[in-house]
Amino acid sequence: MLADAIRVEISSVGAEMNCEECKDQIGPFLDNELGETQASAVRTHLAVCRECACVCEDLSSILDVCTTEPPSEIVPPNSQALWCRINNIIESEIKPPPPVPGEQPRGRFWRLSFAQLAAVVLCIAVISSLLTVVAIRSYTQPGAEDFTTRSVATQTTFEKVLSKVGLMDTPEKARDRRVKEQQAAIEYWNSRVQARRVSWDRATREAFDRNLQVIDDSVNDYTMILQRDPEDELSGEMLDSVLNDKMTLLRDFSDL
Amino acid sequence: MICDAKNRIGLAALTKTTILLSVVFFFAVFASDASAQKKFSRSFPTGQNVRLKLLNRSGTVTVEGWNRAEINISATLEAPAALIVPQSLSGDIVINLVRDNQGRNEVGNVNFVIRVPYTAQVDIETRIGNLSVSNVRTSFVRARISSEGDIELTNISSGAVSAENGLGNIFFDGEIQENGIYRFSSMRGDINLRIPFTSSFRLVATAPSTRNISLGSFSNANMSYLGDGRRVVGRFGDGSATITVTNQRGSIGFIRR
Repeated sequence: MLADAIRVEISSVGAEMNCEECKDQIGPFLDNELGETQASAVRTHLAVCRECACVCEDLSSILDVCTTEPPSEIVPPNSQALWCRINNIIESEIKPPPPVPGEQPRGRFWRLSFAQLAAVVLCIAVISSLLTVVAIRSYTQPGAEDFTTRSVATQTTFEKVLSKVGLMDTPEKARDRRVKEQQAAIEYWNSRVQARRVSWDRATREAFDRNLQVIDDSVNDYTMILQRDPEDELSGEMLDSVLNDKMTLLRDFSDL
Repeated sequence: MICDAKNRIGLAALTKTTILLSVVFFFAVFASDASAQKKFSRSFPTGQNVRLKLLNRSGTVTVEGWNRAEINISATLEAPAALIVPQSLSGDIVINLVRDNQGRNEVGNVNFVIRVPYTAQVDIETRIGNLSVSNVRTSFVRARISSEGDIELTNISSGAVSAENGLGNIFFDGEIQENGIYRFSSMRGDINLRIPFTSSFRLVATAPSTRNISLGSFSNANMSYLGDGRRVVGRFGDGSATITVTNQRGSIGFIRR
């Protein structure tokens, strides 16, 4: 319809307008804002220029839609809320990817306050000191088999120093500790023997008692010697030996 | 005359009665002995490197080496008779009377005589009684008595010998091998070692109560008396073997073989 009107005007208005000028005038032309002369010039150009006529038709159809559709269907009900949602989506898209679980951000570990650093250093110092003491004690503490070879005479200077500061037992203390351990084992086996000996024959009971008596005599002898001379290494070794013999005798007869 | 005849008849009757009673008494005693003792005998064919492991409750154990590839076990059992269940485990012959008779209140003595290949390892132990091992040339001999009894090891050639008892003597007559280990220990008794003069060993001999340590021909400048004579430590020859002797309340003696 518009094209037909334009073609009617071609003859009266010349084709003096170029395409640039025409495209600038298309908007006001469609809004009926141009003067008659200008409007005629535009109509004349549109009649002879197919390209500009197409642009004019496109704009005209857009304007038709805008004028025929109700505004409620074009404008969102709450434009502010819509904009907020759009904004949120855009922000979420431009956020950095979330960190991989378990991966610590670099540099954060060292961000400690002075008090925290001091506490860490103190803990390390205490733990390393404890470990050192334990290591020294376990290294220098004689096992049961080494007990008999230890005496004041055989102690090294290092061992003497450790004994003085209480990190290591003196030979006498080590012997006492060993004897207490042996006595505890002897009591255990003796209780088992006492439960069993009622079933022994007379010869077995007498043989057992004789042997136990000889061992106890030796234990008493060495104990007395060590009370007089705690540094008698040989008596300490023999005391250890006879206590072992007593333990073995009790254990053997507890099976009968 | 009549009186004389009567006397002769009375004497003959008395003689007959006495003989009859003697016969009855003899058979009664013999029969009771026969019923009180039992015999046990069993043989195991073995290789030359077999090991005998025996744990007895009470009684004597005699082990002798012989030139056969079998172990022969003979035992005399006093009443009440013990259970004897020898086992052959991976080539070892194991007899454990303590385990096999556990819970039985009274078990009589069991006296063993065991013959083993002369190369067999011998590990024997008893709670009460004597132990004897002879004529073996093996890598290991061990004899242990928990309480009372003598140990006698004769004609032994072994690189590892151990003898231990409570009350009783220990006698060893054998060779001291290079790098061998020999250990003898007693609570009270005499320990005597008869060894070749060509032996070489390091010695630690301790007799803390009696201080009676007699080295005999093996005494030399390399031997030192320690602890007021309670211990002798030293070396004889190049000292490749180790001999440790401890006698808590008895003597220690060395005899040249």
